[in-house]
Amino acid sequence: MAKKEELKIGEISKPRFEFRTFGRDFEEAAFLMSRLSVPVPEKVWERTSEEYYIVSKTNDINNTKIRDGKMDIKTFVQEVDGLEQWNPLMKAEFPISAEILKNEVYPAFMVDVPDFEKDTYSYDEFMEMIKNHPDLQAVKVEKQRFGYMVNDTICEVANVWINGAMVITVNSESTEVEDIKKTITALGLEGVENINYLQAIKRVLGWIDKPLAN
Amino acid sequence: MSEENYIPKYEFRLFGQSFPELEKLIGEKAGFIRNRRMDDVYLLTAADNENNVKIRNGKMDMKVLEETFEGLERWTPYMIGEFPMETEVIKSTVFPALGIPSPAFNRTEYKLNQFLNELVYHDPDLFVAYTSKSRKEYEFNECELEITDVTINSACIKTICIESESYEKVLETKAILNISEDEENVNYPTALKKIMGLIKIPGIWENIM
Repeated sequence: MAKKEELKIGEISKPRFEFRTFGRDFEEAAFLMSRLSVPVPEKVWERTSEEYYIVSKTNDINNTKIRDGKMDIKTFVQEVDGLEQWNPLMKAEFPISAEILKNEVYPAFMVDVPDFEKDTYSYDEFMEMIKNHPDLQAVKVEKQRFGYMVNDTICEVANVWINGAMVITVNSESTEVEDIKKTITALGLEGVENINYLQAIKRVLGWIDKPLAN
Repeated sequence: MSEENYIPKYEFRLFGQSFPELEKLIGEKAGFIRNRRMDDVYLLTAADNENNVKIRNGKMDMKVLEETFEGLERWTPYMIGEFPMETEVIKSTVFPALGIPSPAFNRTEYKLNQFLNELVYHDPDLFVAYTSKSRKEYEFNECELEITDVTINSACIKTICIESESYEKVLETKAILNISEDEENVNYPTALKKIMGLIKIPGIWENIM
């Protein structure tokens, strides 16, 4: 049997599988996560961030977010036993060339590509283009994340504000599917729907007519 | 109360995640009346801001913004519609209130589920906010006060409202409760549209956490 890769929070590993869900109340799972966790580095005890997700009406397989002036696109690879695996597709820093927007970013949105009149686009100019596109929406997402490590999987419980309205998310991620499944059971989350960020945001926006997990 | 003898009230409403000082003050000063729970389905578009269109208890409940005065808003109910609803009413009243063109109609009247399934859910310009409200109601200084936990498409936010037939009383109550004159009066459709990304989030909304 191949040796498992040792996961370290905050470090790059091979693509991980992920279970994540969103709702209003995961008090019990959060409590169990904190009690079952091994000690984790202080830097992941609590992290806050402010990001913009760019959601597309025509696409659920590429996840685009912008944080600190950097764009990060991940793409859905596969689902195994209800767990999702996402890979980095591209990273870019503003200003971004029209070439990259045309050939990489807009194709990831899977929408009509607009005309580009400039060679490069600043963050503000790009956000203006998003605002003017009928199938795209920039969504402000603020996160307060608390990191843990349970069953060799990287876990978190987080308060997330989507355009100012709060939801709670819990997750477990690892390169090893079985470890995540064990963690789901240990946290009392068996049978709870796996909901990724894109799905959660679209449900809150009313683009998908489905409630969150609770 | 029937629509005929309803006197529209002046309203000041805040939305945010937490108002600990304001809630404490209301708890100390105001008389508690009751708890209420209600589930409303709001129909929203990017187009209109002067109509509040929702479905409550299976009925269409529409209000129009009558007046803004001294930073307060006065909303007047103008239709409580029963389902099945005549197509002519939907065409002449509901869709104009939403600020979007009417779709093609295949029936002469619509039951609620037909209205939602055939006219609302498939309209690319119409968005639905499922809200669940847990409201604590108070009275103070001849005003009605409420502190409400609201879930909007499963996401949580809080709202506090002061309303009265007298705008002076609302302004006076605002002052007693130390609500700054700079606080933005945010009505339900506007708050929902901000959360759902239908209108731009202004700078002041950055402070709601």
